[in-house]
Amino acid sequence: MGMETIRINPDIDFIEFLKKDSGSDLSICMQCGSCTAVCDLSPDENPFPRKEMIWAGWGLKDRLMADEDIWLCHQCGDCSATCPRDVRPADVMASARNYAYQHFARPRFLGRWLQSPKYLPLLIMIPALIIAGIIALAGTLKIPEGPVDYSHFFPHEWLNGSFSVLVLILVILMVGSVKKFYSGLRVAGSPDKSGSLLRSDALRVEKRSTLKRMWEIFIQKDFRSCTTNRFRYIGHYMVFGGFMMLLVVTLFAILATIFFEYPMPFFHPVKIAGNLAGVSLAIGIVFLAINRFKNPSGSKAGQYTDWFFLINLFLLAISGGIVELARFMDWSPWAYYLYFVHLVLVWLVVLYLPYTKFAHVIFRTIAMLK
Amino acid sequence: MSEEGKNTGVFICTSCGIKDCIDTSGLVKIAEEAVRFGNCIEQANLCHPEGIEVIKKSITDGKLNKVLIAACSPRAKTEEFRFNPDVQIERVNLREQVVGSHEPGDEDTQMLAEDMMRMSLAKLENTHLPTPFIPDKASEEILVLGGGISGITAATEGARAGYKITLVEREEKAGGWLNDLYKQIPMQSPWTRPQDPILAPALEALHQEKNISLLTNTEIIDISGQPGAFCVRMSRGGEEISKTVGAIVLATGWEPYDPSGVANLGYKDHTDVISSVEFEKTAGKGSFKRPSDGKPVKNVLFVQCAGSRDKDHLPYCSSVCCGTSLKQAQYVREANPDANVFIIYKDIRMPGMSENYYLEVQKDSRIFLTKGEVAGIIAEDDQLLVNIKDSLVYSDMDIAADLVVLAVGMTPRNSEDLKLSYKQGPGLPTLKYDFPDSHFICFPYETRRTGIYAAGSVRAPLTVSDSMEDAGGAMLKAIQCVEATKRGEAVHPRAGDQSYPELYMQRCTDCKRCTEECPFGAYDETEKGTPLPNPSRCRRCGICMGSCPERVISFKDFSIQSVSAMIKAIEVPDEFEEKPRVLVFLCENDAYPAFDMAGMKGLKYSPFVRIIPVRCIGSVNKIWISDALSRGFDGIMQIGCKPGDDYQCHFIQGSELTETRGENLQETLQTMMLEPERIRTEFIEIDEFDKIPALINDYMEEIELIGPNPFKDM
Repeated sequence: MGMETIRINPDIDFIEFLKKDSGSDLSICMQCGSCTAVCDLSPDENPFPRKEMIWAGWGLKDRLMADEDIWLCHQCGDCSATCPRDVRPADVMASARNYAYQHFARPRFLGRWLQSPKYLPLLIMIPALIIAGIIALAGTLKIPEGPVDYSHFFPHEWLNGSFSVLVLILVILMVGSVKKFYSGLRVAGSPDKSGSLLRSDALRVEKRSTLKRMWEIFIQKDFRSCTTNRFRYIGHYMVFGGFMMLLVVTLFAILATIFFEYPMPFFHPVKIAGNLAGVSLAIGIVFLAINRFKNPSGSKAGQYTDWFFLINLFLLAISGGIVELARFMDWSPWAYYLYFVHLVLVWLVVLYLPYTKFAHVIFRTIAMLK
Repeated sequence: MSEEGKNTGVFICTSCGIKDCIDTSGLVKIAEEAVRFGNCIEQANLCHPEGIEVIKKSITDGKLNKVLIAACSPRAKTEEFRFNPDVQIERVNLREQVVGSHEPGDEDTQMLAEDMMRMSLAKLENTHLPTPFIPDKASEEILVLGGGISGITAATEGARAGYKITLVEREEKAGGWLNDLYKQIPMQSPWTRPQDPILAPALEALHQEKNISLLTNTEIIDISGQPGAFCVRMSRGGEEISKTVGAIVLATGWEPYDPSGVANLGYKDHTDVISSVEFEKTAGKGSFKRPSDGKPVKNVLFVQCAGSRDKDHLPYCSSVCCGTSLKQAQYVREANPDANVFIIYKDIRMPGMSENYYLEVQKDSRIFLTKGEVAGIIAEDDQLLVNIKDSLVYSDMDIAADLVVLAVGMTPRNSEDLKLSYKQGPGLPTLKYDFPDSHFICFPYETRRTGIYAAGSVRAPLTVSDSMEDAGGAMLKAIQCVEATKRGEAVHPRAGDQSYPELYMQRCTDCKRCTEECPFGAYDETEKGTPLPNPSRCRRCGICMGSCPERVISFKDFSIQSVSAMIKAIEVPDEFEEKPRVLVFLCENDAYPAFDMAGMKGLKYSPFVRIIPVRCIGSVNKIWISDALSRGFDGIMQIGCKPGDDYQCHFIQGSELTETRGENLQETLQTMMLEPERIRTEFIEIDEFDKIPALINDYMEEIELIGPNPFKDM
């Protein structure tokens, strides 16, 4: 084993971050491997998360940041339930991911702002001002007369254009971190199979064909096998399914604004799908929130960012529904204020994606498809 | 009618299925023919109060000296069948070894029961109650050799129990290794920090005892004699002191293992690679300095099992080094909050509750632990670069450290410190890894020299708290020895046995077999080689009796003559086809209980065997075998306890001696022109009762193949 020799230089700050963020006294891990024994993802030759636990305890930051296994973890909690020393490896893995979001995302100051509630007004101000600015540029910054028609407030071409720019900004921001993440994986992953086991290609999911792995991303069958926390799987799948569906519906809506009639009637199949997806998203988040209250992790520190994201997403789903309702009910001028809030929430979710849990969609997908 | 010393009462129990299995009137008939003076009574529920009353009344009314109880195994109902100590008791094992193991109502079963009755009657006829041997000037004083924590505790405990103690220490002051300890591994809750060494309070307790005389700066010149009367000569700074003591506790402690031979650890190559013992001596003096250049130490790497658990070096685990390194890691962290400590282990072993201490030490984020193998240590710049392979970190590692501490194991001090003037040498025989134990699990503290008990880390690698517990245990054994010797009784394992080997010296040829084969060094010898028995050193196993070619050694209640009489008492039928006979010598310690268990489980085996229990399979004398063969027995089995590392003969060497003596027996067979298969030696463990039917029946088949003993009916 071990073709490469590493020089050990423990990063104490990293250890302290993980301890604080996860609330786990992770250095009391005695490397018994009970976590590995129960982990459905861990194959015989690659003791996940045992090796990650010692990397965490030894402050081997570079190792963990270059480790794709932590992204394959569903945080099902089987390992935490089994740990004889109550170190909660699942929470430590989650904290390693939390560290990774901050570690890879640029610019860094945004990440810092996301760590503390005192920056919350600032974080909301940024998209609010940008959106207001765009509407002002479009020359529609006033409550329109007549029945509610959001395109009078925010013309379709401006809306679609601005969101395309938002996505573009996101992509540009993400390219750097994804590149860094990906090249880290490549460096750590030695081409020599007999060598370092750092490469997680032994993790079960990696033994499948690319097509099967893509399919797994959508059906999340592995996640379903988590026995300790079934409830969380259901909640997560509702959120995931709802979000994906909304993404499709949104794309269709953009096309509709250009080629078909928009807004669509209430009983249009796409409209129905969109509404169902919104409900699924909202209920899923409620499930996840209940689960968080039911299984509190030991830490209070790491939870703010998670809650920030969850509440954002929840408000996004709810406000979407209300905005739609307001249109049908013709609640002028409140409909326009709500619409504005809804747009701000969209920006909050998308713009800060790299710094929140949401970024796992990127990292995990890369880790799975690599 | 009665005659002094010869009044025998025979009591046959009819319960527990005995009456249903055999015709007890046959036994009564045999008993009545054999017993000239006394009575023979059949009684149901013999062990019940009404049965006991019958026996007691007969003893009083008939002035009985010998009582034969034909009922259950002698291992059962021992309390019930305990009478006046002047009465000799013999038991016939009908319940387990007849009813349990053979077909009821069968002719062969009846013959077996009747032979057993004859054998027991013959034994009773040819044995006597022993008269105990009590050494002259028996002393109750106890010598404790070694003034470390084990010795101090043993002495204090002994004195508290009311015994006079002499505590001998070769150094200027008592305390041993504890004098060098800065702190010790915590001994009790909350298991968080190393505690102050227990030495000061232990010494205070020692000095409070008036019955202890502490002799420092003193070494043993020699020890002679036997339990109850050891003669100890000592030199105290050149001045000779003599003392008679009843028992000895050996607490001479340990020496650290020298890791110089472990090439990859570089103990000889680098000044900054030191042993845990050396490191301990530098603790408690503020910050740690490097031995090489005196610069302050920041990062320290501990190597566990430095030579330990390695068959090329020190093959065992010393059980204390893990705790020592965890403790020393805390020293380093307390001296410098920025220091990193690395501990490379094979396995962390924190016995018992001390696991809590491991947990506590782990909580420190700057103490890094992993399993791993140190591949090599090289000097790099100002530091040592330790290369580690096979670690849990999943890659090879280089760790730079200012100081490397090797956690070295414990080796026992040589027991030749005792300077015994025994024929078999000055020290204690060792069993494994040079520790002077006779059986680690079953008989802790028992060395192979009766009256000398090992305590603390001379006996096994132990922590301070374990040593203290050990010391109490060994002192209790020493007290037991003093008390038993005073009454002329064996201490162990035949506790309470008052018999001892008696030698008929006129026939002794000074062949030295007994002095050499005694596993306990009980015999000294004159310059000519004449054996000088020391009965209180003896464990009454009878191995000397088995070894003696002239048959001069016997016990009052177990002798060449008594066993020969038992053999002669067995009726060997002429017709082989239906009635072959095999004589079984069965070790009482483990093999006999295994046979009893087979009986209790109802496992059946051939009724053609006749069993003679012996104290140890090593006590079987060759003459019994030739007696049996000339009587016409078709085969002879010797069944002893399993020898070896994982299991053991109660008398250490009995089973092994039987194997070596086997060659001698084959010569006997050759001179008698008999097949070598006529004698078979087997060893079983106490729980192997299930193997007994096959063991016996296979041999019976072999005997049937060979055919009858030609000496039958001659």
